[in-house]
Amino acid sequence: MNQMYRTRKLLLLSSLLCSLGLSLLTSLAWGQATRYTVKGRITDDSGQPLPGATVLVAGTSIGTNSDADGNYTLGTTVKPGPATLVVSAIGYESVRQAITFGTTDQLTASVQLKTSTNNLNDLVVIGSTIQTSRRELGNAITTIKAQDLINSGSGGLLNSLQGKVPGAQITQNSGDPAGSISIRLRGIKSLSGSSDPLYVIDGVIVSNQSANVSQLAASADGGIGAANPGQNRLADINPNDIETLNVINGAAAAAQYGSRAANGVVLITTKRGKAGAPRITFSTSFNSNELRKGVPVNLVNKTFGNTQQRLYTINTFNTPAAQAGAVALNPATTFTPVFRDGTTNQLVSNVVEGVTRYNYFDQIFQTGTGMDNALSISGGTDKTQYVVSFGQLYNQGIIKGTDFTRYNLRARVDQRLTDWAKLSAGLSYINSFANEKANGNVFYSPINSINIVNNIYDITQRDASGNLRAVEGPRVNPLSTIEDMKFTQSINRTISDVQLNLTPFKGFTVDYILGVDAYGQVGQNYIRPYPYLAQASLGANLYPLGFAAVANNAVFQINSDLNVGYERQLTSDLKLNAVVGYSYQYFRSDFQTSSGQNLSPFIETVRGAASTTVLADYSLDRSILTGYFAQATIGYKNLAFLTGAIRQDQSSKFSPSLPAQSYPKLSGSLVLSDLDFWKNSGLGRTVNAVKLRASYGEAGNLTGINSYARFYQFSPVAYLGRNTLLPGAQLANPLVRPERMAELEAGLDLSFFGDRVNLGVTVYNQQIKDLVVNRVLAPSSGGSSIVNNVGTMENRGFEVMLGFSPIRSKDFQWDITAIYNQNRNRILSLGSPVITIDNSAGAPVTLLTGQPAGVFFSSAFARRPDGSLILTSTGFPQAERADVAQRAGSLDYVPARTSDGQVLVAGKTTANVIIGNPNPNWTGSLSSSFKYKRLGLNVLFDAVQGLQVFNADKRTRQGVGLGDFAAKELSGELQRGYIFAIYTTLEWRIDDGSYTKLRELGLNYDLPPLFKALRNLNVAVVGRNLYSWDKYNGFDPETNAGGANDLLRGVDFGNVPIPRTYQVRLTATF
Amino acid sequence: MKKILILSSLTALLYVQSGCTQQTFLNPSTASQPQVIGTADGLITVCNALQFRFSTGGVVSVLYNAMAAGGLTTNELQVLNAGNSEELALSQGQANVTNGNGVARNLWTQCNLVKANADLVLANLATATDPGTRSGIQGYAAIFRALSLGTLAQFFQTAPIVVGENAPFVDRTVLFREAVATLEAAATQVASAPVSANFTTKAVPGIDIANTIQALIARYSLFAGDFDKAIAAAARVDLTKRSVFRFDDNTRNPVFFAAFGNVNVIAPTNNTLGLPAALAPTVADRRLAVYIRPTPVATLNLGTGFFTANNTEIPVYLPGEMLLIQAEAFARKSDLTNAVAQLNRVLTKTAAQDVFGVGAALPAYAGAVTATDVLTEIYRNRQIELAYQGFRLEDSRRFGRPGPGAVGSERNRNFMPYPRTETDNNTNAPTADPG
Repeated sequence: MNQMYRTRKLLLLSSLLCSLGLSLLTSLAWGQATRYTVKGRITDDSGQPLPGATVLVAGTSIGTNSDADGNYTLGTTVKPGPATLVVSAIGYESVRQAITFGTTDQLTASVQLKTSTNNLNDLVVIGSTIQTSRRELGNAITTIKAQDLINSGSGGLLNSLQGKVPGAQITQNSGDPAGSISIRLRGIKSLSGSSDPLYVIDGVIVSNQSANVSQLAASADGGIGAANPGQNRLADINPNDIETLNVINGAAAAAQYGSRAANGVVLITTKRGKAGAPRITFSTSFNSNELRKGVPVNLVNKTFGNTQQRLYTINTFNTPAAQAGAVALNPATTFTPVFRDGTTNQLVSNVVEGVTRYNYFDQIFQTGTGMDNALSISGGTDKTQYVVSFGQLYNQGIIKGTDFTRYNLRARVDQRLTDWAKLSAGLSYINSFANEKANGNVFYSPINSINIVNNIYDITQRDASGNLRAVEGPRVNPLSTIEDMKFTQSINRTISDVQLNLTPFKGFTVDYILGVDAYGQVGQNYIRPYPYLAQASLGANLYPLGFAAVANNAVFQINSDLNVGYERQLTSDLKLNAVVGYSYQYFRSDFQTSSGQNLSPFIETVRGAASTTVLADYSLDRSILTGYFAQATIGYKNLAFLTGAIRQDQSSKFSPSLPAQSYPKLSGSLVLSDLDFWKNSGLGRTVNAVKLRASYGEAGNLTGINSYARFYQFSPVAYLGRNTLLPGAQLANPLVRPERMAELEAGLDLSFFGDRVNLGVTVYNQQIKDLVVNRVLAPSSGGSSIVNNVGTMENRGFEVMLGFSPIRSKDFQWDITAIYNQNRNRILSLGSPVITIDNSAGAPVTLLTGQPAGVFFSSAFARRPDGSLILTSTGFPQAERADVAQRAGSLDYVPARTSDGQVLVAGKTTANVIIGNPNPNWTGSLSSSFKYKRLGLNVLFDAVQGLQVFNADKRTRQGVGLGDFAAKELSGELQRGYIFAIYTTLEWRIDDGSYTKLRELGLNYDLPPLFKALRNLNVAVVGRNLYSWDKYNGFDPETNAGGANDLLRGVDFGNVPIPRTYQVRLTATF
Repeated sequence: MKKILILSSLTALLYVQSGCTQQTFLNPSTASQPQVIGTADGLITVCNALQFRFSTGGVVSVLYNAMAAGGLTTNELQVLNAGNSEELALSQGQANVTNGNGVARNLWTQCNLVKANADLVLANLATATDPGTRSGIQGYAAIFRALSLGTLAQFFQTAPIVVGENAPFVDRTVLFREAVATLEAAATQVASAPVSANFTTKAVPGIDIANTIQALIARYSLFAGDFDKAIAAAARVDLTKRSVFRFDDNTRNPVFFAAFGNVNVIAPTNNTLGLPAALAPTVADRRLAVYIRPTPVATLNLGTGFFTANNTEIPVYLPGEMLLIQAEAFARKSDLTNAVAQLNRVLTKTAAQDVFGVGAALPAYAGAVTATDVLTEIYRNRQIELAYQGFRLEDSRRFGRPGPGAVGSERNRNFMPYPRTETDNNTNAPTADPG
């Protein structure tokens, strides 16, 4: 197979080289016919030069771009006759200007472009080489421009998108400097795999995987459940390199990506060179990151029982021996009975004074600093344009010892080979390095090591050799997590492409892209043997004797896309655009790990591990996806469009006996305002643009199924030196199919008062079927689960985007944008009555038929019909119980009650209730930008409302005694025993996760030119995540202990909070 | 012309790529079922996996969960940190142990998986043509099929024998007898052809197949009430042979890893094994030194026994169990003379006389020779001699000790509730909590 693949790659390369060579020859051999030169200047509405505008001879690929001064020169060899120049630029309405190639070979055509706010004539990218004007689209597509990313105050691309994309919920899962980000377009799409969109940069399908190479200690030994602690690989992208970003929310628009489009597609276009003298842009910024808000810590200098009593809030002393033991430690010990779950428990009740308490969080947080430098040089001639850029980012986290460094080097050359052939090559190299600390899901992570220890120890105490000392028995000294553990990962990556654009015959375009994303990811993991081992009693899960591991992940993915387009004016009113394409995608990942324990002193790598503990692993993942697609658009008078498309895919992930998957789409748009009756009626003056759009499309999802999930596998395990093949606990269906989504979308785009007000509304209904579910099996069937297409789910919702420009004068511009999204996710069938998502936080994350994915389904407080709590005989809230045990996955139960209305405990099981939902009711944002002469101010508020967070840490802090409830019990504000009484009722762990954040606040100023060569100098001050309006009893409700996992949402467990960031930036253009 | 050349070369490229569409990638790091069951060596790798799944994996292993479920419900073990909610619920008992309890679920799931995997081996014995190798494979698979059926029957009132969708449940006695039948078939095969060197060099060492088969026949026959069979099988066991589950730093002793190696999960309730005063071991009982840390330290767990390091071997059965099986079976047959004789072999055994160093070194039985008294003494000795092996719930029931809610209750449950993973997905599963 390898041999076959290599051969294929060689062939592919040679045919490409061959075609390049031919093209070069052709360009040399051409040029005897009449050669014309068209020159001109492109300006904007205010008459200022417009660089980077595209000038194209309609129906051909003959074209160029305007240079920095707005000038362009277009050399072409054509037959004499009339032609049309199409001038376009992003953010401006494109203009078609007629010219005639006649007797003079020098022509002039200067064009003034009008700023477009209703965007109808904007060009949008909808595929690797496919662009279309917005008026032709039957779907909602959001375009984000460079400036929107730069003003965000973040060096992370995805962070910069928060609050800017209608229909998207963008969550920063962790506050680590390269912490993962999850993007969900129109809700969750898969019950097994990722719901993150597909990312395509300049036609290269790029990996956004979150392979865990640096948190191997966490994933070994029982692990951290479904949580994914990895960074996501889009962290490698430098936002400074990006020109535009098109977000395709729906299934129908992204026909080109067939089986991979169900989660939506993000098409990123990087900056390209522009003809003209070299232009240098340099920007440098400095930023500082700090903890925005701490958690309440118990600083009441008291405890219960005796000074050293562990778990003083919840420990029970139910036997005479236990009570005698407590009295032996403090003769003044008294006990109080607390009734819970049918039994009476004795808790220590005497208050001991004079206990020093500490806030350990002060010891692990820091104010981090960072810088972000970017340099780019671009220029070229009318035939050749280039851009070279360099980026350097360094950012410290707010946890001591964490940082992220990234270097980006990128070059793109566009070369016109002949009048009908253009070649473009992009090359980028990325190096990134992260210093991490242990992932929050383990108790040797900085935050959870604090959450799990009583705060009565001076953790800064050291022995004579300077080593940290032990704290509470089985716990790690929180400072160990900072000083004695190292988790790093480094990435070397290239994302490169070669593109060939041909216009061989009139009306035909042929575009070919070869894209490669290849990276190597190396993770180092080190836990030093604890110096206080003898004094503590650390469990094996904390790796008392030390841990070291190394992981290597080599990923290679390639996509080779050929698209042939045909454009023809059928009649004076009807126009046809058609594209057929073929795509080949290959993925390979070689993942190797080796780990060991019981480290030699001084040695920080796996080489120092005791030989009996070393384990090695290797996994190879390969898959191929091939697909054909065809799409045709019929346009009527440039105001009504109908598009139909079909994509057919086949992937090696599925049995060859399965037929290819077909994904049809149909969409239409109608620009009502271009109809004469509208223009002529009075309505046209108020409502100057109206576009109706509707689409139906199907798309697939392959993320839910790994390459070998259709096989029942026997995995080798290391076992006492004898070959052992462990039969999988997961059974397999050899005929498992891709997940499919069908989406119906309709929308309306309106512009009022001469584009002063723009309104876009989209409603959608996504029906997802054949969902791959790792369905729970009755263990008596011989397995504990099986991967099968048994699920169906829907997302219904709407997105509204309202833009308003109250002031638009030469000196003063004010724009306001509001976004409101609402999505309702619902699982329609599951194949199992109930599926629980494994996690180490103890969160009852559950999939239930008829409910949104990932609800929290567990015990709730018993209440009367009027909502008041039913208290126990000792006066505390208690768990609700069901009179008859609930059917699996059923929400229905009759509360178990005694005749006097008390909760009946004996023989009754705890009732399971939906106690929380991590899917928001709505998300939205409000942004405003002012520009007065040289001064600009922008503000962005970002809201996620109507959701709950499973706050695992809150309860842990109370149980060990450092939390706010513990403080209230000590000070008498809460009755003694409150924490114990409600400890096992999980409703207590649910908090309101709604928040509105002041996401961005920026001020920027264009300095007057200091000297001639300096075109522009801009100073900006940006604040990010400055404030949050929420009612959350923790650091930050925007958090996900599940990391990049898409089902384990809204769980707070040892997570690093998202910092507040201040940034000062200077940008100069020469 | 040139255009055509370029276009045709692009077409060629398309063609070359489409040639690879139907490629299938196999995982070079795993094996498939046809591969594994197709050769004797393949079956041996699954035999090893049976022991791997049964004995290793820390808190997931059958060994840990049987020990925890048996000990926590009978006051043998206590929970050190109430945050271990699954274990805590077991120590609280009755309705606190829900059908979602993790310990009960692990016990159920792992036993059922081991049973299914053992069935796979036993169904493909024909692949092993060499009789000695077949003896090894059949013996090994039978032992783990019996252990999983037997362990299920110790903790659940009913359970399925057959593996499959909506498997029917049968009474626990039927499970014990099924285990015995499997073992007897294996015993016949092993007797006809001794286990070959080919098998023993490839199988995980530690288990003495021939003796373990007899020991488990004895154990499960006793639990099923088939006393004659129990006596005969127990007598056939060579008490000078050790049969153990082995561990190392990577596949660690699960009870040490999950419990006795830390002070945060579960530990022996006290230094008299949590037995009521009337049954508590006397200070002269030398077995206490084996199972209880003589000088308690705050940083170390009270529990010792066969769970003191990553690589401590855990006996599959103890010689003392074989003696006590005979004593009990005789007593239940009202043959008190023989019962006392076997009991005395346990009481007077010294550490040096026991291959595992478990020896009470006590005087012979001097109590009243009545069925009640002798059985009580047998019960007491089982609880000491076989500490932490997960037998106490089964024993407490079988000896009619005070049950849940009764005065002087010694156990807080009779059986484990059926885990929801089973009842939710098997229409034949009983849903009522047996209590």
